[in-house]
Amino acid sequence: MLVIFSFNSFAQTNNQKFQTGVKKGLDMLIAAQSSEDFLKTSNYFERVAQAETKEWLPPYYAAYGNLLAGLMINDKAIQDQYFDKALLEIDQANLLSAENSEIYALKGYIQFMKMSVDPQARLSFMAASATSLGKAKTLDPENPRIYLINGQNTFYTPEAFGGGKIKAKPILENAVAKFAIFRPASEIAPTWGSERAKALLAQCN
Amino acid sequence: MKILKLTSLFIFVFTLTQAQTKISGILKSSKGIRVANANITLKNTYDGTSTDSLGRFVFSTTETGLKTLQFSALSFETDSVTVDLKKGVITLDLRIKPSVNLLETVSISAGYFIAGDGKKGAVLSALDIATTAGSNADVFAAQQTLPGAQTSFSESGLFVRGGSASETKTYFDGMLLKSPFNATVPDQASRGRLSAFLFKGTSFSAGGYSAQYGQALSSALILETTDLPEKTTTGISVLSVGAGVDQNIRFKNSALTIGAAYYNLKPTYRLIKQQNSYVKAPEQLSGSIQYKHKTSETGMFKFYATYGKTEISLYRDDINEPAVPQYFSNNNINIYINSTYKEYLNDKWKLDVGFAYNKDSDEGLFSTDNYTRNDALTEGKATLTNYFGQLSNFKFGAETFNTGRTESLNGQERGYDDQISAGFAETDLFLTEKLVLRLGARTEYSSYLEKYNLAPRTSLGLKTGINSQVSFAYGRFYQNAEDEYLIIKRLDFEIADHYILKYEINMHDRNFRIEGYYKDYNHLTKENLGNPTNTGTGYASGFELFLRDKKTIKNGDFYISYSFLDTKRNFRDFPTLATPSFAAKHTASVVYKQFIEKIQTQVGATYTFASGRPYVNPNSAVYLSDRTNNFNSLSLTVSHLTHIFKQFTVLYLNANNVTGFNNVYGYQYSSDGSNRRAILPSSKRNLVVGLLVTIGDNTFVI
Repeated sequence: MLVIFSFNSFAQTNNQKFQTGVKKGLDMLIAAQSSEDFLKTSNYFERVAQAETKEWLPPYYAAYGNLLAGLMINDKAIQDQYFDKALLEIDQANLLSAENSEIYALKGYIQFMKMSVDPQARLSFMAASATSLGKAKTLDPENPRIYLINGQNTFYTPEAFGGGKIKAKPILENAVAKFAIFRPASEIAPTWGSERAKALLAQCN
Repeated sequence: MKILKLTSLFIFVFTLTQAQTKISGILKSSKGIRVANANITLKNTYDGTSTDSLGRFVFSTTETGLKTLQFSALSFETDSVTVDLKKGVITLDLRIKPSVNLLETVSISAGYFIAGDGKKGAVLSALDIATTAGSNADVFAAQQTLPGAQTSFSESGLFVRGGSASETKTYFDGMLLKSPFNATVPDQASRGRLSAFLFKGTSFSAGGYSAQYGQALSSALILETTDLPEKTTTGISVLSVGAGVDQNIRFKNSALTIGAAYYNLKPTYRLIKQQNSYVKAPEQLSGSIQYKHKTSETGMFKFYATYGKTEISLYRDDINEPAVPQYFSNNNINIYINSTYKEYLNDKWKLDVGFAYNKDSDEGLFSTDNYTRNDALTEGKATLTNYFGQLSNFKFGAETFNTGRTESLNGQERGYDDQISAGFAETDLFLTEKLVLRLGARTEYSSYLEKYNLAPRTSLGLKTGINSQVSFAYGRFYQNAEDEYLIIKRLDFEIADHYILKYEINMHDRNFRIEGYYKDYNHLTKENLGNPTNTGTGYASGFELFLRDKKTIKNGDFYISYSFLDTKRNFRDFPTLATPSFAAKHTASVVYKQFIEKIQTQVGATYTFASGRPYVNPNSAVYLSDRTNNFNSLSLTVSHLTHIFKQFTVLYLNANNVTGFNNVYGYQYSSDGSNRRAILPSSKRNLVVGLLVTIGDNTFVI
């Protein structure tokens, strides 16, 4: 009887363990300031990912951590390696959860940053990013991160290539509006981006 | 109630007895350097930590027994140790091996031109070609700015390291392309037929290339087509010389592209004075179809077919009879089909198969003589590649070409037909990450020549620093004589031996290389009063410098190339060993590109210099001892990016020789030597303007 009961409680705590585990990582993410902090967060999510082989959130957050770690680094060669790792991890997340708007949105973000490392040689990443974001939009048009990333890509694309502040503004306004009504699927589902959208929008004026 | 109490008691007790093990230690690279931000993971648990800036780590776990502790870090090979978790403290001193970093791994590089971001085998991209001033988006013209290649405007093709144009062969997805150039006017170079935008990369080898490539004595231009386009788009180009439209249709795993183009140089020739007086300025109509299918995660099928029809007629001055200009007309039809399939059979084996067909037909009048000429090539090829070790591979394959020419003059016909069959095997053996050895061989049998050949090829690369490498290559190269000689009689293979030594430094935004070479030519075709033999010989030696920098100037990219060439040969109708007319001793190019964000414009400039070329002066005592003046050319290009009807548009302008240097390629003497005529570019200056619109791509973001 004891054995059965403790087994039962084990199963329960396992799910709880996952929830608390991811939450702990999300706290690290919120507290992260430097490239190193984001790397450590990413490392943490990689550890969770290898223990929870059926969950898409750990590789998703690991990818997000590597992306941000890369964004805060100046050395392009190293930056590129972080982005490559982020791409591998987001593809891993995609294997675990197909047709997921959040995954395609983040993938579009990473692809755009891959392009930015060497724009002249990597224009194809720009189109790939647009394709991923398009897919994310078909899967869930209410996902505010799509509009944030799209607005951000537009913001940083030279006007000559169809970007610029003027074009980014309505997209970011839309993002801010979508963030206002967005309710995450669970406590640990992606919620990031609202502040970023507001900050970028403020720069458009 | 009782049960619950009991359980909570149990949990309480269990928690108390849970043994905590503290694991601490330090992680260093195999060279003893501390590794920061590495991930230390107790496998299948959440437990673990990241190393600090000094490579130290410490964490606690409640797990017990034998567990795997995994450690990983960027640029290192993931590794693990087994730990026995008991109460107390475990201290570990861990070592981690650097992973294979392709950027820092040695590569086969001698003879190859490597630019771009330093990745393997690279290349001038389509964009690089289109934005090179003076090239007018022509694949071949852009290569002429690279070290090893000569500038040329009086004959089509690439003249590499003392070799004639026929010694450079073009390969389209690994398949030999016999007639890559547009219909030609005597003494004028013409553009390549294929658009630069068909290709994701062009890799130019000035010698020492792989055993996969045969029938090229001096150089290989390797063109690799793009994969699936991202989306359905329509491209429209309106140029001062014609117009074209391309429709891309993207399906889930495949894509179809249909294109048509019409070019007519008449309006341009009215504005820009030409050397020849045209009766019919070049007019070309062409169409193409392309289908690509991603057959699996790793498989790709490609099919490409194009048809082109060109008409030209003109009068050109005849030096022997200046009062009576010579009439010349040419109607050309060119068909090219290329289809390839590649698939990984498993982790270790890759299969590549291909089929290609090329037919090039000319007919017209030369003075009053009616001529026709038909060149054809059909090729089948299969290659198997085996990957072993971390980086090494072994490939072998076979190919067969049916090639030949038929021609006629006033109804009198002649021709020849040859079946060349070849087998090749080659291995890239990475002895370490710093040392690679390529060993290869190729054998060919020509049914027309009734002869075999065996060509050994070898190349060696040694990494001398994180970014630097020394390379050496030796190879023997065979090629059948040119069609114009083979049609007269059977000859032997022409032979070239290449010896190449190279030093290079490749960084993310900067490249430097210096390469020296010696080439020994044997069995070149010599012609004595219309009777060709294989008794020609020659040599070429020289060195080349190349420097590219994308870093120093913001949004700017420039490269400088310099080639020194010392060559002599006794071939064709030469009476003695002499430097041929296509070989300039010094050639230098400066190519500069700058994107100006404010006006959304990319500007580019190319300056080319070549020292005087030899020409035959029958009044001189020594054959080919006269030299033309130096060649100078400054070309500019401007691409303005904008939107028309909300569609992404490029406004394009290219001006060649803007300062109007008087360039002379050589001289043609009258039979008695009393008169001469300068061989000049088709026009002193040249200007092309155009508008390129992409519909369906109105913004790069959705």
